[in-house]
Amino acid sequence: MFLEACVLATTLCGFFGIVLKKNLVMKIVAMDVMSTGVIAYYVLIASRDGLFTPILDGDQTVAYADPVPQAVILTAIVIGFSIQALMLVAVMKLSRDNPTLESHEIEKNNTP
Amino acid sequence: MNNLIFTIGWIVLPFCLGFGIYLIPKLHKFFALFGAIVSVGYALQLLVSKKTFVFELLDNFGVTLILDELSGYFILTNALVAVAVILYCWRTEKTAFFYAQTLILHGSVNAAFACADFISLYVALEVSGIAAFLLVAYPRTDRSIWVALRYLFVSNVAMLFYLIGAVLVYKSNHSFHFDGLVNAPPEAVALIFLGLLVKGGVFVSGLWLPLTHSEAETPVSAMLSGAVVKAGVYPLVRCALMVEALDPVVRVFGVGAALIGAFYAFFERDTKRMLALSTISQLGWILAAPQVAGLYALTHGLGKSALFLTAGGAFPSRNFQELQQRSIDPRIWMVALVASLSISGFPLLSGFAAKALTTDRLLPWQDIIMNVGAVGTAMVYAKFIFLPHRQQEQASEDRKNVAPGFSMAAIFLLVGLIAANGFYIQAYTVGKIGKAIATIVLGWLAYFAITQRVEFKLPRALEQFEHLIGVMSLMLIVLFWMVWARSGI
Repeated sequence: MFLEACVLATTLCGFFGIVLKKNLVMKIVAMDVMSTGVIAYYVLIASRDGLFTPILDGDQTVAYADPVPQAVILTAIVIGFSIQALMLVAVMKLSRDNPTLESHEIEKNNTP
Repeated sequence: MNNLIFTIGWIVLPFCLGFGIYLIPKLHKFFALFGAIVSVGYALQLLVSKKTFVFELLDNFGVTLILDELSGYFILTNALVAVAVILYCWRTEKTAFFYAQTLILHGSVNAAFACADFISLYVALEVSGIAAFLLVAYPRTDRSIWVALRYLFVSNVAMLFYLIGAVLVYKSNHSFHFDGLVNAPPEAVALIFLGLLVKGGVFVSGLWLPLTHSEAETPVSAMLSGAVVKAGVYPLVRCALMVEALDPVVRVFGVGAALIGAFYAFFERDTKRMLALSTISQLGWILAAPQVAGLYALTHGLGKSALFLTAGGAFPSRNFQELQQRSIDPRIWMVALVASLSISGFPLLSGFAAKALTTDRLLPWQDIIMNVGAVGTAMVYAKFIFLPHRQQEQASEDRKNVAPGFSMAAIFLLVGLIAANGFYIQAYTVGKIGKAIATIVLGWLAYFAITQRVEFKLPRALEQFEHLIGVMSLMLIVLFWMVWARSGI
């Protein structure tokens, strides 16, 4: 329960960071915090029934961690990582004309 | 077994072709067209055979694919829009990069229409988000980069909520399959629906859509509005069909979106923004009757992409006031006329059949509201229908500005709009035709009554980036309340 609360708190911190931070890079970092929370939640759910790495070695009595959420979240980590890379490239391009990277200013300059 | 190989081949093909373009850049257009045409063939085969294929790969926690008539309609929409967009770009100087991204976008949306488990869907939606980002940012101006960045940001945050919901479904079912929503706790449904509503551009969560779709290049906006948003809507429809308890929730959002979209669109002065806002309302129509969503999605996709190509590629201006003061080439106006009439539901065009089918399946409480929505749609599209159109001297000058592939793409889409009538020919009864014409005439009268007198500008505050993100938390609470109240725990 305590761990679940921590994971939820991380996710919410990330979410509020996206809303409250003014700087575009900080917003992206906040999004990363949020996705860290989500990933941690998958890991937490995988470890419901046990903590051992699920490798078959004859001894069946050990309580294994559930491999499915881990496998799934690995995909999500890779996708999240590539999206973040793309976003940072976009921010680099934007920073040439908006060196302060304040999202309000960028939005004001680029909305018709 | 053969069907399985065939299906997987079809899902993988656009990606192989898309990456293949980088190896043989000279053949980019042909690869892209080939990929889209294969999808047309696959979808037609699904629609004609009326069979349902369910594939479960790697046990119950692996990938699930469901292909039936419903997904057939969505796949056909995606494929026809892609063909039209490629025809539109045929004689332009678009690079191999553009065609490769178009194919990958097409392939990922196809995959979203084929899968029936939350993780495959997540991957498909994220890939479509990345490809759409690259296409929107293609002109590399500051504005296009900002619009694309905003789109990717909003959709990625929504998908993070979705992921939490997906793992909650897994927790209670040991499977990511869609029908696991039956046993899932209400918060799981709320989180997943939030992700899909944002991604699909439905109701208030869809207010990222007007700026993205209007500021993208014309072929890209045609593709986004015609096909890509439906990748978010289709899973909602599928879930509503699989889990009876969720059907009313989806219908409520459908009705809400249909009204709010039409309202916003009517007071818009920019053609492309108006089309994007009307997409929100049409997505609402798709959700309003999940059993028959397929045909509506198809006719909307064809009509809307034709209108986007016309408004962005052939009209001399994007501003309605300017368009009122000058004359449009009658041939271009004809394209806008036919597509607008179809979306308004005029008989002879397939929009009529789709609307008739949807109104048949509405629940009693939806009936009156959706009829108001239909009048609203007619009001919105009257703006295109009553644009002045006469042959004038300046017309020849305007014709030079028309994109070279426009006529080919427009003819293709309009033929599709007429041919799609064949899917529901039973719609042509006297009562339904009378009702459709009455609705449209009422809408036109209301258009003249209101536009002559009211000058009104709606605030755009809700479209600001931070509000888009903030609204997600509110929608999450609303969704949770709706699902929780229905589950009666």
